[in-house]
Amino acid sequence: MPVNHSHNTANALEVRGIGKRFGGFWAVQDIDLTVRPGERRAILGPNGAGKTSLFNVLTGDTSATTGQITLFGDSVTREPINKRIQRGLRRTYQHAHLFNGLTVRDTLFLAVAGLRGSWRQVMPLRASDARLAEAERLAEVAGVADVLDRETSELSHGQRRQLEIGIALAEDPKILLLDEPAAGLSPAERPKLSALLKSLPEDVTVVLIEHDMDIALQTSESVSVLYNGRLLAEGSPDEIMRNEDVHRVYIGGAHGH
Amino acid sequence: MKQAFILIPLLILPFVLNDFWLTQVATRSLILGIMALSLSFLATYLGVVSFAQATMAGIAGYTIAFFGPNTVGIGVPLPFWVSIPLALVLATVSGALVGLIARRSRGIYAIMITLAIGVAFFYFTRQNYTFFNGWTGFSGVRAPEIAGLSLRDPLPLYLLSLGMAALALALVSGFVRSPLGLTIQAVRDAPGRVLALGVSITTPIVAAFAFSGLLAGAGGILNVWYQERISSFSVGLGPIIDILIISVIGGLRHPGGAFVGAVVFVLLDTFAVDLIDRERFNTLIGVVLLLIVIVAPGGLQQLASDWMARLRRPEVKEKSTVRANS
Repeated sequence: MPVNHSHNTANALEVRGIGKRFGGFWAVQDIDLTVRPGERRAILGPNGAGKTSLFNVLTGDTSATTGQITLFGDSVTREPINKRIQRGLRRTYQHAHLFNGLTVRDTLFLAVAGLRGSWRQVMPLRASDARLAEAERLAEVAGVADVLDRETSELSHGQRRQLEIGIALAEDPKILLLDEPAAGLSPAERPKLSALLKSLPEDVTVVLIEHDMDIALQTSESVSVLYNGRLLAEGSPDEIMRNEDVHRVYIGGAHGH
Repeated sequence: MKQAFILIPLLILPFVLNDFWLTQVATRSLILGIMALSLSFLATYLGVVSFAQATMAGIAGYTIAFFGPNTVGIGVPLPFWVSIPLALVLATVSGALVGLIARRSRGIYAIMITLAIGVAFFYFTRQNYTFFNGWTGFSGVRAPEIAGLSLRDPLPLYLLSLGMAALALALVSGFVRSPLGLTIQAVRDAPGRVLALGVSITTPIVAAFAFSGLLAGAGGILNVWYQERISSFSVGLGPIIDILIISVIGGLRHPGGAFVGAVVFVLLDTFAVDLIDRERFNTLIGVVLLLIVIVAPGGLQQLASDWMARLRRPEVKEKSTVRANS
């Protein structure tokens, strides 16, 4: 139940004229995006197209050089990442960076406690803590319940990616930005991740960077294609499949690998 | 409570040792161990090496000297039940301030900043006579008498130090299992990711330094009672490096290592004089430190637990196959 009524009418994510410059190089430039609440959007593009740079700007990991970002009707362009997180924005990282010295259970606990603002407590955790139960539920959803007491440094690549998603699912996310969640997964791990993505609640908006065309087109209802930091095309998976520009710069190239 | 069994031999110790061993070796090791624990806590759980721990301990020690009985006629005598909490609070606040200053620094930069703070405090105590009595500092500082029991006597001071050491270790192991303690460890592993959980990273860093200040302060109070004096030399480069050496010898991966390191340090410090010239102590401790860094980078505590694991090898093997199968 959205508390703020504007959430019902406003777009989940609106991006106008976003650009990010590193020195003399524009990683992304003039990007406009509109994502409806509950939409599944894939961001597609060859390596170096600016997908992750765009995500970093959207989440506040880096600041935008130009442009405006609106989340559910509120401008967040100048907000730091922790403020945007409290608005229901979550992301995963392409190169999972997790708390290597903590167990899966403690990591998910922190995701819950951090978002609930109850991480400042100084008394030792009790096993009966409701937040630990919530952490276990997230582990169940993300498929890492069997490794709850392992340190995250001991996890396999696939388990780390699943844990990333478990962290992102803590405390009712409204919009999930997933950065190549399937990257580097073995063929056996891919279906698990696909199933996990399909099982996400319908009201959650998902923006997904995916290098793998097939996964992107299967799991999304709309696709934006980036090329050289600019938006090249936008549309339904079918439209994108038929788009000649996309074929020229991306599909042809990707299949040629 | 496996740890509680270690306490039993330590409680029997006073009946076995004479006063020299009890005071010069056992009590001194415990006090230095508590101060080193304040550093190994920071290094282990926040991943920051601080050179300002002797400063935090010194602030507590100076507070006790200034607000307690001393023979230099400076200060305001207060009852011990006021001066002790005051000393702990000031040490904690000083820790928080150091953390606030050093919060954006890691690795060598954190070392440089905390070292600068430590050295600045050292020179400040030398030049300030109103609060620190300059070069000479305070002497004749006496531990209080509680219900007719003088904490200056070897046995009470030993038992008090032992109790404080046990309490400090218990506090550390409890604190690192608290939400704030877990957040501190998360900041150590991936500060950017902590921000992405909606958590600021300043608070955990400052809290970790403040907690280390509390530990250092407890050590500093015991130290000023033990030495019965405090001066600029108690907060100078010597003690700063001693605390670091003790932590490294013991190992920075487990809080208990601080006490292992302290025992080795105190034994060398006390008995090296029988083997080599007094002036050669730094050479000896330097060689020991080099050996540790080369042979056992995890410190003696880590070395010991590795050996224990090797002794139990069959069991360990079994465990790992079970894990691989599951």
